[in-house]
Parts: sequence; structure tokens; C-alpha cells
Amino acid sequence: MTGTTDPSLPDFEAWFHQAPSGYLITDDIGRITAVNDTFLHWTGHSRPNLLGSKLQDLMPVGDQILYSTHCIPQLGITGAVSEIVIEIIGADNERRAALLSASRSPASGQDHGNVRVIIFSAHERRMYERELVTALRVAEESEARRARAEKELHHLALHDALTGLLNRAGLEATLEQFLTPPPGDTNAIAALFIDLDHFKAVNDSLGHAAGDELLVSVARRLLPTTRRNSTVARLSGDEFIVLETVAGPQEATALAARLLAILKAPMLIQGLEIVTSASIGVAIAEKDGESIEELIRRADIAMYRAKALGRSRWELHIPAESDPSVDRLRALGELRHGINDGALRVHYQPRIDLHTGHTVGVEALVRWQHPTRGLLPPSEFIGMAEESGLIRSLGAWVLQETLKQAERWYQEDSNSAKLEYAVNLSARQLNDPGLVHMVEDALRRRKVDPSRLLLEITETALMSDPEAALESLTRLKDVGVSLAVDDFGTGYSSLTYLKKFPVDELKIDRSFITGLNSNTGDTAIVGSCIDLAHAVGIRAVAEGVETSEQAQTLTSMGCDLAQGFHFARPLPAPLLAAWLHASTQQRQDTHKPGP
Amino acid sequence: MVETAISGASPVIRRNNVTVTGQANGPVMMFAHGFGCDQDMWRRLLPYFAEDYRLVLFDHVGAGHSDMSAYDRQKYGSLDGYAADLLEVCECLELEDVILVAHSVSAMIAVIASNQAPGRFSHMVLVAPSPRYTDDPTDGYVGGFSREDIEGLLASLDSNYFAWAAALAPMVMGNPDEPELADDLRSSFCRTDPAIAKHFAGVTFLSDARPELPKVRTRTLILQCSDDRLAPLEVGIYLHKNLERSTLMHLQATGHCPHVSSPKETAEAIGQYLSYFA
Repeated sequence: MTGTTDPSLPDFEAWFHQAPSGYLITDDIGRITAVNDTFLHWTGHSRPNLLGSKLQDLMPVGDQILYSTHCIPQLGITGAVSEIVIEIIGADNERRAALLSASRSPASGQDHGNVRVIIFSAHERRMYERELVTALRVAEESEARRARAEKELHHLALHDALTGLLNRAGLEATLEQFLTPPPGDTNAIAALFIDLDHFKAVNDSLGHAAGDELLVSVARRLLPTTRRNSTVARLSGDEFIVLETVAGPQEATALAARLLAILKAPMLIQGLEIVTSASIGVAIAEKDGESIEELIRRADIAMYRAKALGRSRWELHIPAESDPSVDRLRALGELRHGINDGALRVHYQPRIDLHTGHTVGVEALVRWQHPTRGLLPPSEFIGMAEESGLIRSLGAWVLQETLKQAERWYQEDSNSAKLEYAVNLSARQLNDPGLVHMVEDALRRRKVDPSRLLLEITETALMSDPEAALESLTRLKDVGVSLAVDDFGTGYSSLTYLKKFPVDELKIDRSFITGLNSNTGDTAIVGSCIDLAHAVGIRAVAEGVETSEQAQTLTSMGCDLAQGFHFARPLPAPLLAAWLHASTQQRQDTHKPGP
Repeated sequence: MVETAISGASPVIRRNNVTVTGQANGPVMMFAHGFGCDQDMWRRLLPYFAEDYRLVLFDHVGAGHSDMSAYDRQKYGSLDGYAADLLEVCECLELEDVILVAHSVSAMIAVIASNQAPGRFSHMVLVAPSPRYTDDPTDGYVGGFSREDIEGLLASLDSNYFAWAAALAPMVMGNPDEPELADDLRSSFCRTDPAIAKHFAGVTFLSDARPELPKVRTRTLILQCSDDRLAPLEVGIYLHKNLERSTLMHLQATGHCPHVSSPKETAEAIGQYLSYFA
């Protein structure tokens, strides 16, 4: 910078030095060739220190990179940069927020190119912008959180919350890739269908928390035994699937044997040592691209055979074999169709008042008219329906059908007009939030007095989730229906819950009735069950009464109601009507005064 | 210089704002710009090659006039995403025997691209390259920066957030010394979405492309500047050692952008190399 001799012009050198901003001149790569007093004063640096050093070196590293990659090329190409936000490090090592503007004169002739730089202090503006950027980052972060939550949701949808393993949906999603081995690969996919033996017993005796703990332990044991690229999933309840690439059936069954051994080791559940075992069905995927459903179905069939052959073992499914009696999935499909196509029947078993000998009600019992196997009793399909969830639609159908019949009889026949209808509720139905609405709706539609409906719930169903059961029962009670505890004596037999649940009737399990008079233990149990019922003010009912001796003993013990073959088998509606008619007639005959 | 707009442009051409200039029938020279800039940064270098070469330029997605909506944080979360784009441009224009000139962080994008499609490129010219900007204490590698330094860069980018956001860009005052520059270039040059710039900076300056180096089979010229804060001398030597068929040339030009500050020297170095090897 040279002074001017023209007296008409102001003193540019003084103007340069006393300008209200920092002024510098640098060469093309930032080496400082001139700096004004304002800049020196603001930074605390001395002129000799700055001349020859690079302007970038006064900036923090981040700004240096930005200056080199962005500002210098921009100056080189466009000749100017404007209001770049930087920091200048002063002699005191403090950073000073600044705005940098610069323009460049290209080299011409002897003159090298130079860059004229203006630096403004920009503390306030910097603070303000920093706040804005922080707000922006917060907004971005909340967006990122939303995205993360979505991802977690996706994960949840594909995984079992209890064990962290894949669930059925997750298994199917993962397996798209798994089932199609690369061409030339001689390996095959093996499915191992693992079902714990007697898992229900653990659940029933120790409660669901213990059952869950057991499932988690099993998952933990299964994972390390499988290879990294294999898949472990929990399908439902105590059913696990392991999918593994194997060279052949031998490798698959060896793995099954290994898994059996690992699962047999005792586990500590809620402080108790539990020894569990499993049954494993093994199936090897067919070479011609079998679907995952089919592969699992075959492994399931083999698993059922392992169960049937005594549990705690593995069985290999041979593709040619087909055994309809163990083909549970096929049976399930048939049952589903059966419900929809009207293959279910309701039979009615009379319930007799032991004090009067009158028929006061009937229990509705479902039958399945199977296309090939004939009329099946509930024991053949209720368990399957319960496990699969089909029980909800099945149970609803039975209730609706029974109430439909009740309405019809009410209109047609005075003999059955006052009957009470007992219908079974399963554990799953009890936990179904739609249950109460379904019951109310069915009663309203058939115009049946709620007090004529008795819902029977097994002891074990009540205890699987006592709190939920209490809530459902209380709401059902509010609707006006009566409630019975079914199969009493096989589970908890606790006075506490008898008092807690709003039940009207206690049904003593048929196994005790069978032993009546022949087994003193059973006789004592039946006696105390009746006393227990009366002690809490409810009716005692005996089911499975087959002989007149049993009926007499029960009467003498004070039992209120009884049902069983001794009185009548479960009968289709028309036969029941006839039976009722006949028994009424008979009673009238008996009581008719003699000629 | 005449820039040829590509008629009936494919999505790839639009995405990367590809422009083709120079000698239509000449061998292909393709230019990949580095961080903080766009294809306009090659403007001073191009005249040296425009008569003999077909010049292909593009903007990385997120920079210049590329399609900002194509920016996908996952795809561009590593250099691979950029390399894939570069190869797509080559494929789309059916470029063969490409001389790929890549600056700064793009040098490693070029290396990855040439490893994925070795037949596509005849030569690479890496201008001020570095395979890793941060030092690696585990093996003594010197990149010139610490991780904290790079975090400082990200903070600087935040500081310039509003300056970079196009809507609030301050008008650049004219420079009476260079009146020939079009105003639109002045205001658009090196504009970028600040959020993308920050992500790009994080990805490129924290990446480590050293494992890619031994795989390179393409002949490579390494142009090393004097006094380059971003690529110290050790880095040039490291690259030369690890790139099998490489030539290392030191330029008098100082700083990080010799094609901007000393285009003549840069062009002569490239020309000299090509006349020898090509």
C-alpha cells in the first residue's frame, strides 16, 4: 500500500489503517502481505508476526479446511467471496467470531495476484445463528428419532418380544433368501420343529411368569448351538423352529440330538430346578424349491410323531409318508372349514336337580361331524382349536347356536321354556376383550333372559390370568349371566379364589365322581367339594354320573345338581325334546294317584 | 468454451448435472470435483484440454446443480455411493478408456470406481489426493488431521449454515478486476445444501480408503502440491508406494487447488504424463 501525493485525495494509508474493520492483503494462497491497525488491535497480534504467515493459520483447523476447499477455489474462479463465517484466533489464544469477505486481483504482467480481505467482528450475529442452527439440529434429531422408532417398530413386528427370536412373520421375511440355494450348491435346508414336552404343566403349576422364563432360557440355549447363518424362531407358545443348512439328513438329525441333549440339562426357574425335555421333528427341504410353510408343516408332522412315540426324541419326516391322524395342520384347516360350513353340531345333556329329580337345564356340548372320521367328541378337536385360536370362533358359534335353540324351544315347548343353558368358555375366550360384547349381543338377538345362561370356565383357565379372568367374570356377571367353575378339583381347588370370583356353581370333576363309593379318597374329595361350595353359598354340581349308586350318594351328600349317562347322554336337539317330554310324562305318571 | 447440453437427458445425466464440452471425437477426459465445490472449479484448467479431448464434467449429488432430491443419506453414507454414480455416468454416456481427473476427496471415489470397473479407465489423475485425512495411531499413518480437527470442520460448516443456504446467500459484490465472469456463476459457484455439505464432509473426511489402494490396476498420476494443508507430503509418498502403477509428481503450486491457482502448471504436468504413458 503506497501513500498518495495528490493533495486532493484523502490519505488512503491512514484510511486503510483506521478502517472500522480488519483489512488484509494476501497472495493467492493466503500469505499476508499487508494488515491494518484495526486487525492488529482486534487480535492482539503484532505486524511482524503476521506478515509472511498465512491468514488461514489464524483460524481453527475446521475453518482452515473450509477455507482451503471452498474459499480459495471460489476466490480463484469467481474472484470474490462474501461473508464467510470463520473464527480468528487472537494472540491470547481466544477465538473471535468473524465474517470474511474478499476479492482477488489476478496476476498481470510483473504483479502477482493478490487478495484483499475484510474481516468484520461478528459476535452477535454468530450467537444468533448458532441458536438457529441448534434449533434446526433439534428438529432434525426428533425426525431421526421418529425414523428410529419406526425401525424399532418394524423390528418388533418381525420378532418375538419375549425371547427376541424371529417370530413367524420374521421367519417368513428372512427366508425368502434362505430357501433358494445358489445353483450347484448340494447343501439343503433342514427345519427342526421343537416343541417342549409338558410345557403346559410348568405354566399351570408355576404360573405364566415361570413359563415365560423357561421359554427365554430355551431360546438362550438354542442360539449358541446353531451356526451363524442359521435361523432360530419362536412360532408360538412353546414351539421353536431352527433352520440350518446341512449336507444331508444325518447332519440334521445329529443337530436334533444335540439340541435335545442341551435342552435336557436342568434349568433354574424362579429358584426351582426344572428339567424339561423337547420333541423335535426334522424335515429336509425338497430340491425342487419347497415353500417354507410346507417345510415347517412336514417338520411339525414329524414332531407330532416324536410326541406320540413317547416324547423327548426326534423324528425325521420322509417326504413320501403321510399320516392324516398326525397331520395337525391339515386337521386344523378341516376344522376351520367345518366351522364355516356347518359341520359342527351342538348336543344337549340334561342337568338334574337332585333334590327334586327335575331336569332344570342342559349343558351344550359341541360335536364335529367330520367328513371321513364321523362324529367327533370335543376331546378330539378342542385342544387343537384352543392352541390355534380357532376356539374363539368355535366358542362363539356354540353359544349362538345354543341360544338360537333356546329361543326356538321357548316358543315351541313349555317343557323346556324354563331350562338353564350351560355353555363352556375356553381360556382364550375368557381373555378375549370382545367376549362380553359377543355374549350380550347373542342374548339380545335371541331375546334370551341372561339369567338362563350359565357359562362354565375351567379352573385352569381362571388361574392362567386370574386378574383378567376376574375382570371378565365381573363384567359377565353384570350382564346377568350365571357362572360355573368347571372341572373343579383338578387344579388349584382354592377357597380363596372361589370367594374372589363371582361364581354361582362349582362343577366337581368327573374323575372324582367315577371313584365315588369305590375309592374313599375320592368320596372324601367329593364330600368336601360339596361342603366347600355350600360354605361359600353356591351350588355343587356333579358331572359324569353313570350309576344310580353314585346318584344316591351324591343326593345323600347334599349335592345340588348332577349330569351323566345315568340320566341321559348328550342328545341332539330333537331327541332332547323327546327325552324331556318322556321324562316329564314319566314323572307325572309316577306322581299320578293310583286308580 | 461451448458447453453442450445433453439432449434427451437420462435421469443419471440430470441427477449429476453432466456437461460435455471440448473435442467431440477426442479421447475422454472426465473431471470429478472435490468437497466444497462443484464442476465449475475446473473452469481454468479446461482450456488446456478442450482442443484435443472430449471433456465430461459432473456435480456430485448434493453439490452444484445436481438433483438435491436424489440425495439419500444411506447411499451417500460412504464413498461407494459416489463411485456408483460416477460409473453410472460412464455407462450412460458409453464412455471408454476414460482419463479420470479427480480432485481431493474425489480421488478416492475415483479409486473405488476404477476397482469396480477397471476396464473403464485408461488413466487416473489424482489431484491433491489423500486416502485418509486423519492420522492412524495404530499403524503410524500420517493423514495430517485428528478426529477433533474434522469435528471442527463440521462445526465450521454449521457456522456457515446460513451463508451456504442458497435462499439466504449474500450477494457477492462484483470484482472489478474480473468483469468477464457471469453474475450467475458468482452467486451459484460452490453453493450447496448446508446439511448435505456437512454429511458429505463427515463421510469423506472420516473415510479410510487405504484398503482400496492395493487393488488398483489403472495407471495413476499423483499430483502433489507444495504446502497443502489437506494432503501433506507423506500422504503423496504413501499413495505412490501403495498404488502399483503410479507416478508421483510434485507441483510448484501451493495450496490444495492447483488447477485453480496454477492451471497452466497443472495442465502441463498432466499433459507431460499423458504424452509419456498414453
